[in-house]
Amino acid sequence: MNGQDERPDGPEAFADAALEEELRQAAAVLDPVPDGLRQLALEAYALHDLDARIAELTFDSLTDALPVRGAFDAPRMLTFQAGEVTVDVEVTEDGLIGQVLPPVPARVEVLSGPKTARPVAVDALGRFTGDLPPAGPFALRLRTGGEVIVTEWLRA
Amino acid sequence: MSAGTLRSTAYDDVPHTRGGVVDRTEVGALVRSAVDGDAAAWKALVEGLGPLVWSVVRAHRLSDADGHEVFQTVWFRFAQHLGRIREPDKAGAWLASTARHECLKVLKGLNRLTLTDDPQVLDRASEERTPEETLIDSEEAADRAERVRRLWQELDGLGERCRQLLRVLMASPPPSYTDVSAALGIAVGSIGPLRQRCLRRLRARMDARGAA
Repeated sequence: MNGQDERPDGPEAFADAALEEELRQAAAVLDPVPDGLRQLALEAYALHDLDARIAELTFDSLTDALPVRGAFDAPRMLTFQAGEVTVDVEVTEDGLIGQVLPPVPARVEVLSGPKTARPVAVDALGRFTGDLPPAGPFALRLRTGGEVIVTEWLRA
Repeated sequence: MSAGTLRSTAYDDVPHTRGGVVDRTEVGALVRSAVDGDAAAWKALVEGLGPLVWSVVRAHRLSDADGHEVFQTVWFRFAQHLGRIREPDKAGAWLASTARHECLKVLKGLNRLTLTDDPQVLDRASEERTPEETLIDSEEAADRAERVRRLWQELDGLGERCRQLLRVLMASPPPSYTDVSAALGIAVGSIGPLRQRCLRRLRARMDARGAA
């Protein structure tokens, strides 16, 4: 149970509960979850993949770096980590640049939803370049050796 | 965007949710079933907790585009982490907290790009009036709709703290205080008293308008 059941039940508390319920109905009518989003959330189930390792976000320049005065369009720098594998990514207006460390040949795809995966070019040292900046949520899927690593979903 | 569109029939579709707090044990069981491949369990999670995530997004007043992206990001990440969530019973709090952090990131990014102290540019629900008269025939329904519209407007005049709290509390089914705490980064113990103060302030505003 939660704290909502511990409220004193005087007339005021009753009126509070009634008003809250009225607000709930108002929200359900005036501002419900948009259908398209609900649908996307349903489809997101396809992203559930127990075989892939998750590379967790360990650095995000948006929150972890000191803002540089005057540099408003500084690229977004991201670092993901899965065990000993690190993925550094730089998102710019022109696309994204990344590096898998330690340097290994890998196949890399940019995911932008449950149904969209776009391969990017990777060199022998694990450096990759995508010429389209991700719009909206994205993740990178790496295949290296027999392993699949997916970076945490993030909004670009 | 359907905010501002008043569908009179929706009143009858909204289940009576008082006491229908998302049950934690049930959420835990749904998460475990979804991990095992049960798509119906996933659907139940989306239906039961989607409105909470949406409420958190709305409470932070993101633009539609940003809000939609945050909502998607949260669900994509939830699906990705599904089998690794340490406390499946607290999936609601996990979602709420993830949504909050993504919202704060958006606001931070906006601040940096636009140098504005007030990234809350959109306030559609109160200004974008659609002619609900055309949608509602009966006078009674029109009265109800008018009261709902006023409630929605008065909500905006309550101040940011109250507006945020109430917007999260009004998710359907009602979120637990643990979820609300995760959604707003406030202590569980302060939610009850704050809720009471905000609801009473809102009621006073409605009374002052003669709309009670």
